[in-house]
Amino acid sequence: MPLDSIPRAGQANSVAGHLLQTPPTVAPTDNNYQVMDLFSQDTLLANIPVVEQGRAVGIINRNTFMSTIARPFHREIFGRKSCTAFMNASPLIVDYLTPITELSFLALGAGEKVLSDGFIINVDNSYAGMGQGVSLMQALADQQAEKHRQMMESINYASVIQQSFLQSSRRDMAAALEDYFMVWSPRDIVGGDYYYFVKRDDGFFVAVIDCTGHGVPGAFMTLIMASTLKQVLTTHDLRNPAELLCAINRQVKQSLGQLTPEEAGIDDHPELNSDDGMDGAFCWFDKASRTLTYASAKTPLFVLPPEGEEVHTLEGNKKGVGYVGTPLDYEWKNHAVKLAAGSRLYISTDGIIDQIGGPKRICFGKKHLKEQILKHGHKRMEQQQKHIIDAFLRWQGDNSRRDDVSLFGVCLD
Amino acid sequence: MQNLYIAATSSTPEVDFRFDSHQLSLRGESYPENAHAFFGPIMDAVQAYLPKLHATTVTLDIQLAYFNSSSTKVLLELFGLFNKAAVAGNYVHLNWHYIEDDETILEFGEEVADDYTALDFHPCAMVG
Repeated sequence: MPLDSIPRAGQANSVAGHLLQTPPTVAPTDNNYQVMDLFSQDTLLANIPVVEQGRAVGIINRNTFMSTIARPFHREIFGRKSCTAFMNASPLIVDYLTPITELSFLALGAGEKVLSDGFIINVDNSYAGMGQGVSLMQALADQQAEKHRQMMESINYASVIQQSFLQSSRRDMAAALEDYFMVWSPRDIVGGDYYYFVKRDDGFFVAVIDCTGHGVPGAFMTLIMASTLKQVLTTHDLRNPAELLCAINRQVKQSLGQLTPEEAGIDDHPELNSDDGMDGAFCWFDKASRTLTYASAKTPLFVLPPEGEEVHTLEGNKKGVGYVGTPLDYEWKNHAVKLAAGSRLYISTDGIIDQIGGPKRICFGKKHLKEQILKHGHKRMEQQQKHIIDAFLRWQGDNSRRDDVSLFGVCLD
Repeated sequence: MQNLYIAATSSTPEVDFRFDSHQLSLRGESYPENAHAFFGPIMDAVQAYLPKLHATTVTLDIQLAYFNSSSTKVLLELFGLFNKAAVAGNYVHLNWHYIEDDETILEFGEEVADDYTALDFHPCAMVG
C-alpha cells in the first residue's frame, strides 16, 4: 500500500506512521558534545534517535541528557565518549503500519518512558523516524473525538426518525386540544418514552408510555411498542384502554418470547431471553359525557378539579406490560371519572418523579409534582409547563438526569 | 461460601454480601446500562447461598436512593428469592433505609413488603 494513501491521524484507522517525525539523528560513533550541540541548536528538539546502520539502537531524551551532563565533571568525563552513554537503550520500536490503538497499548505496556522519550518508527525493519508521546496522546484524543462525533451524528439522526413517529400525535393533539402541553425530553437525545394521541369526533385517546431502558435500546422499544399499538388498534376499540393494554401485553410477550417456561410450554433458558416491556397510562376522553376512561400500568394520572384545592392521584394497576413476570392473561382495569369543564389532567412517566435532587438528594416524588401543579394549576397550560419544568430542573440541580422525562397536561374545556 | 463485595460506582450500588455472617447490604444508586450484566453474578451468588440455609436469620440492609426500571425488576426477583427462603423456614429481616421525606423510595419498600409477605420489613428513616 502506498504510504500516502493511508488515512490521516485522528481517523479511526490511523497508524503509527502518521505521527512520524524525522529529527536529526546521531550514530554510536558520535560523542556527547555533538549531542549537546544538537540540543542547543534547536531548543524544541525533545529527543534524538541513535541510529546504527539503518537500525535504531536508542533514544536520547533532552531532559535526561541535560540534567545528567550538567552534574559535576560529567561534561569533562563523558563529553568525548559515545553518545550511547545516556540514551534509553530499549526504546519502543513499532512498524509504520501499527494501528494507533495497538500502539497506545504497546506504549502503556512499555511504561512511562514512552511519554517522554517517544518511540521509533520502522519501515521494513529499518529506521524511518520517530513519534513523540504527546503526538500519540493527541492522536488518541482526536480519534476519541471523531468516534464521539460519528456516534452523536448517528444518534441525532435516530432522533429525527423517532420524532417522526410522534408527528401524527402532535398534529392530532394540536387539532383536538385548545389548552395543553406535551413535554417529551429523552435523557440521551433518543429514549424510551413515547406518547400517542388520536383525535376522534366524539373525543380523544391519549397514551403516555415509558418503555424499558433509555437511549438507543429504549428507542428500539418505543418503535416496537408503537407498531404493536397500531396493530392492536386495528382490532380493538380505543375507547377501551384496559383492553388495549391486555392486547399489547399478549402481543409483546409472544413476539419477544417473554413467556414464563409454563406459558411457553418448553424448557427454555430464561437467562437468554429479553425481559422488556412498558409502563404507561392509556386514556379515552368522551366529550359528550365528559368521562375519562383510563387504564394504567404503573403510571399515575393527576387531576386538578376546577377551583380545586387538592390534586388527586389516579392510580392504576401495579403490573408493567409485556414483561416475563406479567401473566399472559393479566387484566388491567378500566376506571372512569367525570371531569367537569376546567379540570386539569396530567400524566407523567417516572422520569420526573424519580429524579434525584434537592437538598437531601432524594427523589422529586409525586409530592413535589403535585405541589407544583397546585401552585400553577390556574395558569394557561403552556405557562404551567414552564413553571413545572423549571421547578424540576432546580430540583435536579447538579445531579445528572437519571431517566427520560415525559409530561402531558391538558385543561379540558 | 465466599463473601461478595463490589465497590459502588456512580451508577451501581455497593454490594456487601457477607454470607458467613448472613448480613447482606446494597447501598447507593442503581442505573447501569445493562442491569442483568451487573446483577447476574450477584443473583448467582444468592441462588447458591439460599438453599444451604436452615432456620437461619438473614439481615438484608437496602439503602438505595435511585434505581432504574431494569434494576427494579432484578431487585424484585432478588426479594422474591429471599421471600421463598423465608417461606422455607428461614427468617429474613429486611431493613429498608430511606432518607426522611423520600416518599418515593418508602412507597417502593412498602410495595415490596406487600408483595413479599414472608419478609420481615422494617422501614428505617434516616435524617438527611
